Amino acid sequence: MLPILSWRNVWRNRLRSLVVILAIALGLWGGLFMMAFSWGMSEQRTRDIIDTQTSHLQVHHPEFKDEQRLSLTVPQGDSLAAQLRARPEVEAAAARMVLTGMLATASDAVGVQILGVEPEAEAALTRLRSRVTYGAYFPEDKRYPVLIGEQLAEKLGILEGSGDSADVNFRERLVLTFQAEDSTLSARFRVCGIYKAQNSRLEELQVFAVKQDLEALIGAGSLTHELAVKARDIAQTDALMQELRSQTPGMLTETWAELAPDINLIAESFEVSMRIFFVIILLALAFGIINTMLMAVMERTRELGMLMAVGMGKLRVFGMIMLETLYLALVGGPLGVLLAWATITWTSHTGISLAGFGEAGAAAYGMSAVVYPSIQPGYYLEISIMVLITAGLSALYPALRALRLRPVEAIRSH
Amino acid sequence: MLFKLAWRNLWRNRRRTLITIASVFFAVLLSVLMRSFQEGSYEVMIRNVVSFYTGYAQIHKEGYWAEQTLDNSFEPAEDLHLAAGPDLGVRRAVPRLESFALASSGDNTRPAMVVGIDPEAEPALTNLDQKLSAGAYFTGTAPAALVAEDLAEKLGLGVGDTLLLIGQGYQGVSAGGRYPIAGLLHFGSPELNKRMVYLPLPEAQYLYGAENRLTSYALVLENPDQTGRVVRALDEALPGSYEVMTWQELQPELVEGIEGDRAGGVITLTILYVIIGFGMFGTVLMMTAERQYEFGVMTAIGMSKLRQSLVIFIEISLMGLLGVLAGLAASLPLTWYFKLNPIYMGEQMAEVYAQFDMEPVLPASTDPGIFLQQAVIVFLLSLAISLYPIWNIQRLQPVRAMRS
Repeated sequence: MLPILSWRNVWRNRLRSLVVILAIALGLWGGLFMMAFSWGMSEQRTRDIIDTQTSHLQVHHPEFKDEQRLSLTVPQGDSLAAQLRARPEVEAAAARMVLTGMLATASDAVGVQILGVEPEAEAALTRLRSRVTYGAYFPEDKRYPVLIGEQLAEKLGILEGSGDSADVNFRERLVLTFQAEDSTLSARFRVCGIYKAQNSRLEELQVFAVKQDLEALIGAGSLTHELAVKARDIAQTDALMQELRSQTPGMLTETWAELAPDINLIAESFEVSMRIFFVIILLALAFGIINTMLMAVMERTRELGMLMAVGMGKLRVFGMIMLETLYLALVGGPLGVLLAWATITWTSHTGISLAGFGEAGAAAYGMSAVVYPSIQPGYYLEISIMVLITAGLSALYPALRALRLRPVEAIRSH
Repeated sequence: MLFKLAWRNLWRNRRRTLITIASVFFAVLLSVLMRSFQEGSYEVMIRNVVSFYTGYAQIHKEGYWAEQTLDNSFEPAEDLHLAAGPDLGVRRAVPRLESFALASSGDNTRPAMVVGIDPEAEPALTNLDQKLSAGAYFTGTAPAALVAEDLAEKLGLGVGDTLLLIGQGYQGVSAGGRYPIAGLLHFGSPELNKRMVYLPLPEAQYLYGAENRLTSYALVLENPDQTGRVVRALDEALPGSYEVMTWQELQPELVEGIEGDRAGGVITLTILYVIIGFGMFGTVLMMTAERQYEFGVMTAIGMSKLRQSLVIFIEISLMGLLGVLAGLAASLPLTWYFKLNPIYMGEQMAEVYAQFDMEPVLPASTDPGIFLQQAVIVFLLSLAISLYPIWNIQRLQPVRAMRS
């Protein structure tokens, strides 16, 4: 009896019902979409770090991290990288030489990390070629070319100005100094290009040279300190790691999560702020529903008074209003989920560009500025339940207000 | 006349008016809270990151930041001390002389950032004396070095061992010295952990042959919110041979990270506006439906639709204004409360944050700009919503309306 009455009430005043239904649908849509967006943004940061810095896996000599000595190499690093590149599940792999040293110009000296890379493999692995903003990516005709970061180039006075009017002094000779096994080696290099990294710190620290050039200088044959691998699918990381471990006995193989622990910090802090914003959105939804339902109860003062006067108990009036809210939520809920699903699916294909927001935006510092919202299916249920609970709780106050009506006065109103 | 009518309309059905005002009130409150927590999370991040090393502002010799060499150091003159005083909002100027050198244990060599500090002033900015993981802090200015943990480990050195520093000093002189290690330092930032070496200022000046010279003054400010103002004032007060820089210029990557995040915040905020906007729209929609009879009568007795629309517009503006004012009045103490009692992120999070020397808290920001901006946006939103009843009045047919 009561369920039928409530159901009819819902459709008797369509406008009012539509407002509440839409409020619930919007609340759900907002909550889900925000979750998906934040998730996508956090994932994009992870992806950027993987794509430009850590790759999925890296192999080092176990002592290399503590003590970056020239002799702490990964045996047969070059051929391992070549073998890995040939595998179908591997997108890219590269061997690097990593040296700590000093970079000096005529007037300056700074501490740098010198990375000896295989130009083609490196371009495929960390997009280094596409991150070159001035000059060329290791041109064949230049002897001892190096790529330096924008920040360092500015600091050393090699790059002046920015954009098209930038002036790059490619004639500047640089002396790189590093410790070889028993001696300190110095050699002249020339800047062939200037690259952009995810942050200024890396741009200041890392200098890229051709691995073979450095090997020729040192004269100790092939030297690989770091072997970096990127799988076609991040899910294959663990399988690939097992594989690599058995191929490189005694070496240390680490995943991106171990290599960049601050990814964890970024993800965690995203999670916290996301939760707080989600609570704020739920509150907004709750107040929207409370207001509308309260208006509805007021509007129906006469009707409710009449029902009470003809003998409907208070509990039943209360039950009727709660049931009405439940119905509204049951219509609005699925609508909201559908709306959210559609928006998330659509934007996860097209992506949302952040370039138009904020001043410089994300794009200015080499971070891809397009966010692809994504959500784990479990969240649909979780958030739907939270929104339904919010809707139920928000209906409580208006329903309680209805209970306090006195039949006679209520009928007289209007 | 119209205003009076609108005002009376409002209080004729007090409860309905209060509900509408409440919807604006909550809109302001929630959007202020959202922005306040967004900005608060940046403020705490900035506070943490600048306290690692740079401080909120620094003074250098003009051109030092572009070319950070000892040749760009300066001899602090008396007028600098006076200018960088409490009058301009500087609590303390922390002197430093810094340059790269090679740190060596004899067997091993690593590049290091060697910083000469005033042992007494430095902790005011970086809490350096609390970052010791072994040994003791400087006592006076006796020759001794504090070395970052990871660097010491790589060099194979511990407390009491001798550290060798080799580098290039002021005006190209070669620099070299031996220092007993007084203590090891642990930093949250892996970068600092790998390369920092601290010496008492006179020792560093002697090492680099830069007697009485400094590369920078890092400033402790009375009020970090005022950084921009203090820096501008200092810039004016100091001769042109100095440059004064804010943390934004000193830590561009922090600004980059925040800008990127803020762009995402815009999306979150838009979603919130959609929801609160609809909440307000809902109440206005109900009000319009409820008042069809009244509108019909008014039209029937000859009130022009334009005037009726104006009345409604005034009503909604008034309700919007009242709601916005009430919302501001409520959000001020609330955000102050969360600024003083920031939300704690929980044990698990605290551990992750501790690794990076970050505080696991989320405070609210009380930047006045936030309140003003949100008040204006929500008020405009309520004005936009008043278009609905106006549109409704324009197409109203009195007879049908009165019958409803």
